[in-house]
Amino acid sequence: MIPKYVERKQVEEVGGSVQLSSVFQASGRSYALLSDTANNRTILSDLPPKLGEEFGVLLRGGETRPGSPVDLDLGGRVEGYGVFTFPYGPVTYGVPEAGGFKFVTYGERVVKVIPQINFKKRGVETKVLGWDPEDALLLVERSAGNFSASYSACFLNAVEDSLGLEVPSQAKWTRAVAIELERIYNHLYAFGRLAEAASQNVATAQANILREDVLRLNARHFGHRYLFGANRLGGVRADISKAERKDLSDSVRAVVKEFRGLVEFFLSSRIFLDRLQNTARLPREEALALGAVGPAARGSGVQWDDRLTYPIEPYGDIYVNMETDPGEDTMARTMVRIQEIYSSEVILRELLDRMPGDGTATQAAGTGRLNADDFSFCRIESPSGDLIQVVQLDGQGRVRSLHVRPASLVNWLPFARSMETCVFTDFQFAFESFGLSYADSDR
Amino acid sequence: MTSGFPGREPTPSEVPGRSVPPRAVDSSEWPAGEEACPTGAIRADLKRIDLGKCVFCRRCSSAGFEFDEGGERLRAALMARLAAADPQELAKKQRVFKKSLHVLMIDVGSCNACNLEVLNLASPYYDLTRLGIFFTNSPKHADALVVVGALNRSMVDVLKRTYESMPEPKLVISAGACAISGGVFQGTESFVSPVAGVIPVDVVIPGCPPSPVQILEGLLLATGRSAKEAASP
Repeated sequence: MIPKYVERKQVEEVGGSVQLSSVFQASGRSYALLSDTANNRTILSDLPPKLGEEFGVLLRGGETRPGSPVDLDLGGRVEGYGVFTFPYGPVTYGVPEAGGFKFVTYGERVVKVIPQINFKKRGVETKVLGWDPEDALLLVERSAGNFSASYSACFLNAVEDSLGLEVPSQAKWTRAVAIELERIYNHLYAFGRLAEAASQNVATAQANILREDVLRLNARHFGHRYLFGANRLGGVRADISKAERKDLSDSVRAVVKEFRGLVEFFLSSRIFLDRLQNTARLPREEALALGAVGPAARGSGVQWDDRLTYPIEPYGDIYVNMETDPGEDTMARTMVRIQEIYSSEVILRELLDRMPGDGTATQAAGTGRLNADDFSFCRIESPSGDLIQVVQLDGQGRVRSLHVRPASLVNWLPFARSMETCVFTDFQFAFESFGLSYADSDR
Repeated sequence: MTSGFPGREPTPSEVPGRSVPPRAVDSSEWPAGEEACPTGAIRADLKRIDLGKCVFCRRCSSAGFEFDEGGERLRAALMARLAAADPQELAKKQRVFKKSLHVLMIDVGSCNACNLEVLNLASPYYDLTRLGIFFTNSPKHADALVVVGALNRSMVDVLKRTYESMPEPKLVISAGACAISGGVFQGTESFVSPVAGVIPVDVVIPGCPPSPVQILEGLLLATGRSAKEAASP
C-alpha cells in the first residue's frame, strides 16, 4: 500500500529540484524513489534505464558484498608533480570507527577525497531473509547503534504496513519520543566533536556532560542507553506513564537550557567560529545533484525533512519547524544541528503533553490482513538524515526482502566534494558536521 | 558529578536496567530460556548463561528468567572477567601497568554503540584519567588494545598488524558481545571469528554495549587493580 504522501508517477529525468533517493528491486521489478524538493513530495517511479549508469556510485555503495572495502570515487583523475595520495584509517582517532579515506593532496591543499567504506559491512539485509520480523529487528536496530530508534521505527513501520497491523497511537507517539531523544544526543555528540577538533576543551566537556545526561534519560525511560529494544512489533516495550511524561519533559528542558548557554559561549569564541566558517563548502546545486540529505543538505538551503515531507504518525499532527541555513559551509550545518536540538525539545514537549493513552501497556490487537504480494516502505528522518527501508514479506509473514538506504551512504560524496578546496586540518570539522557514520553506511 | 566508581559502588543511573544479566529462578526454565535466546547464550544442557554471547535483549523474561533490581543489580552488572590463557604471564604484565595504562580502541566491525561508550570514558562523568588511564591514537604508544565489534573479514589483517605494532608487554581487552562472540552478527557473511581466535585476549567485558562503568571495571581488572587500590592510586 502506498501512503497518500507518495506520488506514483513515471519520471524520465532526474535533475533540478528532483533528487534520486534510492533504487531498489521488489517482485522482480526495479523502482526508483525520488524526492521532489520543490514540492516536498516523495515520488515512486519505475526505474528509467538511464538512471542506472549515472548513479553508479550510489548503487555500488549500496550493493557491494560484505568483506571487501569499496572506494567511493567522484571520478576525475588528478596527477602530476607534487601530488600525493595518502591513506587515512581504518584505525585512527579522527574517525573512531573502522573506515578510511584516501586523500589526494597538492602541498597543503586537499585536491580530492576518496572515502573507503565497507570495512565493516555486516550484511544485515541478506542475513535477515526468511526471518521473523521480531527476530530481524534485533539485527536491524544494531545496524547503526546510535541511530537504533530510527532504524527500528522505520523497519517496524514498513513491516506493520505489510502485515496490516493497527498500531495504537500511544505506541507510535512513544516511538517518536525515542527518535527525538536520539536526535538530541547525536547532535550533541557532533557538537562535542567539533569543539574537540577546535581544542575547545571546556565546550567539549560540557557537550559530553549534556550528551551523557540524555543517554541516562534514555536508560531511565526506555531501559537502554542507545534505545535498543525500545520498539517491538506492534508497539513499544516501555510505555511512558503520565507521571513519567512530565518528568521526561522537564529533564529534556533542563538539558536544552544548559545547551543554550553553551551555544552562547560558542558563538562568542572567534577561534572556534573561524574553523567552521567557510570550511568545506557544499553549494546548493551540488547538494541537490549529489543527493545530500539531512542536516548536510539543510545546511546548504535544501528544503527537505522527512518529518514534514513524509509525515508518518505522529509527525502529521504536531508542529515541526524545518531548520535550514543558506550558509553552505560547516558553520551552517552546525547551526542547523543546534537549531534542531532546540526544535526537538519543542517537539518532545508537544509529544509528551498531547500523547494519547494513559500510559498503560499497549500492543496491536490481533492480526491484520497480510499483504505479501506488495512491498511497503518507510522514510524516517534519522539524526544524519533521510533513512529509507523497503520491506517485502512472504506468505508466512517472514522477511522476503529488505532494502536499507542509510543517510550516511549518500552523504559520502557530498562530503568528498566539499573537502576539495580545503586543507587536511579541516577534515575533522567537515566530517563531524556531515554526521557521517560508517556503521550506518556499512549496515 | 564524576562517578564514585571504583571507590564506591556504581549508582543506579550508571547501570541502566538493560545491562544486567538474566538469572534463572527455577531450573525448569532452562529449556524455554534456550528456546527464547536469539544468540545461543543460554545453554540448557549446562544450565549456564554465556555472558559473552548475551545481548541483554530480555527475551528470556518470557521463559521466566529474572533480572536483579536495586543494589543486587549494581553488583550483577559488574561482569568483566579474565580470559588470559596464562595467568602468571598476565600477572607479570599487570605489575607494569598498575600505575598507568595507555589505551587504544580499535573497531573491527561494530555498530558504533561500543565505540561511543568507550569514548564516553573521557567525559567528566567518568574521567578515566583520574585513574591513570589514558587514550592514545597510535598502536606504537599503546599498552592495551580495546577491541570492539564483530570481527569483519576486511579487518582481520588490520587487527593483526595493529596488535603486532604495539610494544611489549601488551594487553588485549574485548569489549561487547560482538567482540567476544559475534553477538547478533555471528553467522553473517563477513563475520570471521571471535577476537580471541585471532589475537590473544586477556580480559572480556560483556554487554551490548557495555556501559562506561562496566568498561572501566574491565580496564581496572586488566591492570590488576582491585576497586580499593584503584580508588587511591
